[in-house]
Amino acid sequence: MDEPALIHAAQHGDLNSFNTLVLAYQDALFNTALRILSDEEQAADATQEAFLSAFRAIRSYRGGSFKAWLLRTVTNACYDELRRRKRRPTTPLEPGTEDGNEMETPRWLADPALSPEQQAEAEELEHAIQHCLESLPLEFRTVVVLADIQGLDYSDVAKAIRAPLGTVKSRLARARLRLRECLQGFWELLPAAFRLQEGSRA
Amino acid sequence: MTTPSFRDIEQLSAYLDGELSHTDAVRLETRLGTDPQLASAFEALRQSRAVLRHLPQRRAPRNFTLTPKMVGQKPPLPRAYPFFRFSTALAAALLLFTFAINAIGPLSLGAMAPAPSYGMGGGGGAATEEPAMALEAPAATEAPPGPEIPPAPALVMPSATQMPPPAAADSARAAEATPEAQPKQGVEEQAAAESEAESIEQAPIPLSWQIALGVLALVNLSIVFLMQKYASSKWRE
Repeated sequence: MDEPALIHAAQHGDLNSFNTLVLAYQDALFNTALRILSDEEQAADATQEAFLSAFRAIRSYRGGSFKAWLLRTVTNACYDELRRRKRRPTTPLEPGTEDGNEMETPRWLADPALSPEQQAEAEELEHAIQHCLESLPLEFRTVVVLADIQGLDYSDVAKAIRAPLGTVKSRLARARLRLRECLQGFWELLPAAFRLQEGSRA
Repeated sequence: MTTPSFRDIEQLSAYLDGELSHTDAVRLETRLGTDPQLASAFEALRQSRAVLRHLPQRRAPRNFTLTPKMVGQKPPLPRAYPFFRFSTALAAALLLFTFAINAIGPLSLGAMAPAPSYGMGGGGGAATEEPAMALEAPAATEAPPGPEIPPAPALVMPSATQMPPPAAADSARAAEATPEAQPKQGVEEQAAAESEAESIEQAPIPLSWQIALGVLALVNLSIVFLMQKYASSKWRE
């Protein structure tokens, strides 16, 4: 995929080129929205809205990481979605409980590519992390999702949330500390591979 | 060995991401080697990040590609579309123009082109001049026959009846008056008939042109409409 050429074409109104970019980045944007919103349907809405906004504003893209630019758009869409949610509260897809052991596995988490054991582990891990992410204040959650889940560097996160670099650094440190405390409660549930070792992307 | 401050945690977090300056990184590494609590905090942050980085990435539940309708784009129309659209508008405009011309045509001709109406005797100026010419003409012809006509009755009358001279003079006057009135009346009738015929038959824009323009406009409009329908039907939702 010749990303610069596709972006250039999209900037001149070529929808097919833009849709190629959509297919390349839709998983990243959807996951970001899902981790921030904790609701698949709302995450899908925010993702769609983000791509629509991105197409309309693509002429304002002036280089740099296109993924970071798109993630900034989806972050804004998530904030809009949360504002709407405040105005019109809806029943959450996943029943929120204080006790992580009682959380039920939603059907949409099932991944047929994994063995039943791996799937159970993945679901466990995902549940625990999602639960802890939800416990974070929105601004901390957003930073940790962009930096640790999507792998953006500090400057890209700063651009995405329109905050100074120092704020990103501070929020990320606080978010990691809080997550560590939260995950302590699930440590026994986490797969052994994730207990005390650094990830492959470190 | 003290409990790490939040400033230390921030430094550790940034160090983990390689976002610390070289000087600060070296200083922190020295402290990590000597401070177990700082090292423990660093390990906790590292674990948190490791877990987050291994969070399974979910696949999008559907494709989020945009449709032209979503972004407000119009279907691609054939290259000839602008031509037919323009010609439709032009034909319609010309048709309206012909109606307007035909509606005001006679008035504008009367006011703007006095020469033809002058010839037809319809104009006000012509009405005053024409009788003068008509009067002059008999007067010119009256002078030569004047002496000739009276002799003719004069030759007959003595042999038939004794017609009094005043009667002969009257008949002569009547004979003089009829040739003068008849041509004048004939000219007026002919002029009126001609003007009527011309106003009907010679409208500024012939009806056939109007029909042609109307047909052209309708045909082009149909083509434009069909082009739009065809483009829309091919347009993927």
